[in-house]
Amino acid sequence: MRNTLLTLATVGLAILGLYLLTQAEGSSGLLSALTLIFIWGIAAVSLNLINGQLGILSLGHHGFMLIGGYVTALLMLPEKERAPFRTRLLSDWARNHLDLDKWLRGAGLDFIANSIDLKFVVALFLAGLAAAVVGVIVGAPSLRLKGDYLAIVTFGFGEIIRLLPNAPEVAALTNGPLGIKGIPGDAGTVWWTFFAFLFVLWFLTRLKFSSYGRAFEGIREDEIAAEAMGVNLAYHKVLAFTISAFFAGVAGGLYASYLQSVDTQTFNFFVTFFLLVAISLGGLGSITGAVLGTAIVVLVRIYGGFLEKPYPAYVGYLGGAVVMLSAFAFSAYIRKARRLRPVVETKHLIFGALGVALLLVTVLFRNEPWMTQTVQFFGLRKILLAVILILIMIYRREGIMGRAEFSWKLIFGPREDIPTEEQRKQDAWLSNPDLNPDAAKKEDDDASA
Amino acid sequence: MTASKLASRSTLFTLLAGLLLVVLIGWRIAMLGDYTFARIVQDFLNALTLGSLYALIALGYTMVYGIIRLINFAHGEIFMLGSYFAFYAMTLTPMHWGLALLITVLLGGTVLLVLRSLFNLEEPKRTAALALLIFAGTFFLLAFRNMGWIEALLLSMLATGVAGVLLEAVAYRPLRGAPRESMLITAIAASFFLQNMGQLLFGPRVQGFNAETILNRPLNFTIGEETVYYTGILIVVPTVTAVLLFVLNLFVSRTKLGKAMRATAQDAEVAQMMGVNVNQVIALTFFIGSILAAAAGVMYAIRFGQIHPLMGLIPGIKAFTAAVIGGIGSLPGAVLGGLLLGFIEIYVVSLFPTLSAYKDVFAFVLLILILLFRPSGLVGEDLTEKV
Repeated sequence: MRNTLLTLATVGLAILGLYLLTQAEGSSGLLSALTLIFIWGIAAVSLNLINGQLGILSLGHHGFMLIGGYVTALLMLPEKERAPFRTRLLSDWARNHLDLDKWLRGAGLDFIANSIDLKFVVALFLAGLAAAVVGVIVGAPSLRLKGDYLAIVTFGFGEIIRLLPNAPEVAALTNGPLGIKGIPGDAGTVWWTFFAFLFVLWFLTRLKFSSYGRAFEGIREDEIAAEAMGVNLAYHKVLAFTISAFFAGVAGGLYASYLQSVDTQTFNFFVTFFLLVAISLGGLGSITGAVLGTAIVVLVRIYGGFLEKPYPAYVGYLGGAVVMLSAFAFSAYIRKARRLRPVVETKHLIFGALGVALLLVTVLFRNEPWMTQTVQFFGLRKILLAVILILIMIYRREGIMGRAEFSWKLIFGPREDIPTEEQRKQDAWLSNPDLNPDAAKKEDDDASA
Repeated sequence: MTASKLASRSTLFTLLAGLLLVVLIGWRIAMLGDYTFARIVQDFLNALTLGSLYALIALGYTMVYGIIRLINFAHGEIFMLGSYFAFYAMTLTPMHWGLALLITVLLGGTVLLVLRSLFNLEEPKRTAALALLIFAGTFFLLAFRNMGWIEALLLSMLATGVAGVLLEAVAYRPLRGAPRESMLITAIAASFFLQNMGQLLFGPRVQGFNAETILNRPLNFTIGEETVYYTGILIVVPTVTAVLLFVLNLFVSRTKLGKAMRATAQDAEVAQMMGVNVNQVIALTFFIGSILAAAAGVMYAIRFGQIHPLMGLIPGIKAFTAAVIGGIGSLPGAVLGGLLLGFIEIYVVSLFPTLSAYKDVFAFVLLILILLFRPSGLVGEDLTEKV
């Protein structure tokens, strides 16, 4: 009861905060950052369902997002935008069959057709459904495989799905590599994405603590044991895959609406990689972690833009020196924390030496033309993400949260890691042979053993 | 079902599939009236070249997978590095002697250190001779003349091999014993890192790769009344590939280190107990795989005339498909798979021109089909996971 109230209060506060933010001036940057966090959060939490909770490495998430994006685009495209490319080949069919307004009016649901917001709900649901259907088609055969073979097959499916809209046969519908532009941006606003995000979070948290969620985690820990306990492996795997694909489709639809355009490059393999960094950073298997990781990664991507601005070259040299020196310090720190001797290894000295050398070069040649010319480091953020992922995999595979979830008990409940006075007394009694004859007996047993 | 029954059934399946393929191709050739013998020869040359390149890259995938069960996603980027090293070797030489000296010291020192750790060079005299050879050779090549494609190829192979060893030491070695999924994720991250690092350092533009004109001068011969066109590189690629394969085969089957490699592939733990330095063998595997990838990268660049930092993606995936077709972990399988994939790609596009838009999708479809229905490949052994 208390926890429910707290949750509701937090949601209420969040809504209030968002409202104030939308009213405030000059907050558009922050709002779009939040929107992106919500959209990518949905995708990350859904990927976490397979990669974290089910323990299966799936690399085809961008394919499902792409399907969601294209379905939303095709359903929501206003009449005037539709004509240019749909009329080419599949004109009649598309006009007759891919018209959400017509369906809804045909079913007597005029009030939905008249409201663009409600129409978006239907379109996003259909986008998720389409992705889920593809998820079943992809998952049913490939989930028989295990480990990296499965990862490769899902990667292959994802790439096939991504390349298909470019095929000449369907180009009349999807506009080929040029993509679709002019999608209404209504669903890509912060409110829409916020409520969709809340719903997905609620649904997946409920799922995680249901019997299904426990079955998923059983499969992750030990497939054979789970099967012996009566878990239907194939069914549960395909189920998780389908649910995940559904929400990926929804996220793709929201993203398409946010960008107001969709093409095959929007959802390339980098999307899956991005999500993988997010959930690995947060902690595979933790929904809280997935959200946290997404927030960090999205913020790096948005506010890391300064890294790729034009600078004089010596900034780059200095940056390189700092990176080298901090790598040197970091390796020494890790070795110290792990109590390895010697603290400074010879091969790590290379980093330090390179750092010092770069520093020297910068200072010595600071007035040379090649040192003061303007350079720009494109792709530095992607490099940063890749480095983060490698470092996580090497030094902290459980990420920030491990598999733990956020809960109110964690904040307001009694601390379980510090024993209470009562427990302390009981422990003292248990371990005192004068007071507790069992303890004395046990010590004898240990000694004789 | 017993194993032998399963094996015979899948052999039958493969045979049937092959027969179907042959019938299909024959039917299609008969359908296309103008598909003459000269065009078959022309396509054969192209396919052999492409297939050889795929085979060279696929060997790296299959060797690494055979030893540490890791799909080295970054192998395509190693291939890219190889072509860029050769590109810079050919365009920047002859360079200022001071710069050449600096590069010689850095590159030669790293190469020497890596080679020493890879090949157990303990004898001081030989090591000194090797050091002299490497330093003097690198300096000579860099400082005094414009490098030709052969020197660039050799230098790039050496440098890329070292890059592969460094990649393994930095990204994969700390994860020894980690779950395989973690290693795969690291490999993907390494691939993205190298791609973007390439864009940063080499520039994101497509650059023209101009080798000696002799390699790209159009030549021709006639069959009957038709002319078959070819260039020098179409002869060079299969030849170089064959030589490299021969050397690799000798190395793996005849030398002590090759034996250690085979032992590690069979069972790393037991090999370690028998005194094999497993870390050394793994580094050596990366070295050899990267050398072959670099050779493929340079020849790919000469063949297609341009390079860019993302060029490793598609050939990488296709070579991986080739390795899987042949049975991942098997060396002859990788060569067979590479050639097969090259032939399939060229002949499918040639016989069914409408399918050329799906050239890249095709590799993925093949990959999925093989993994789903015959994950052990054509000649690979069964790699079922035990409890």
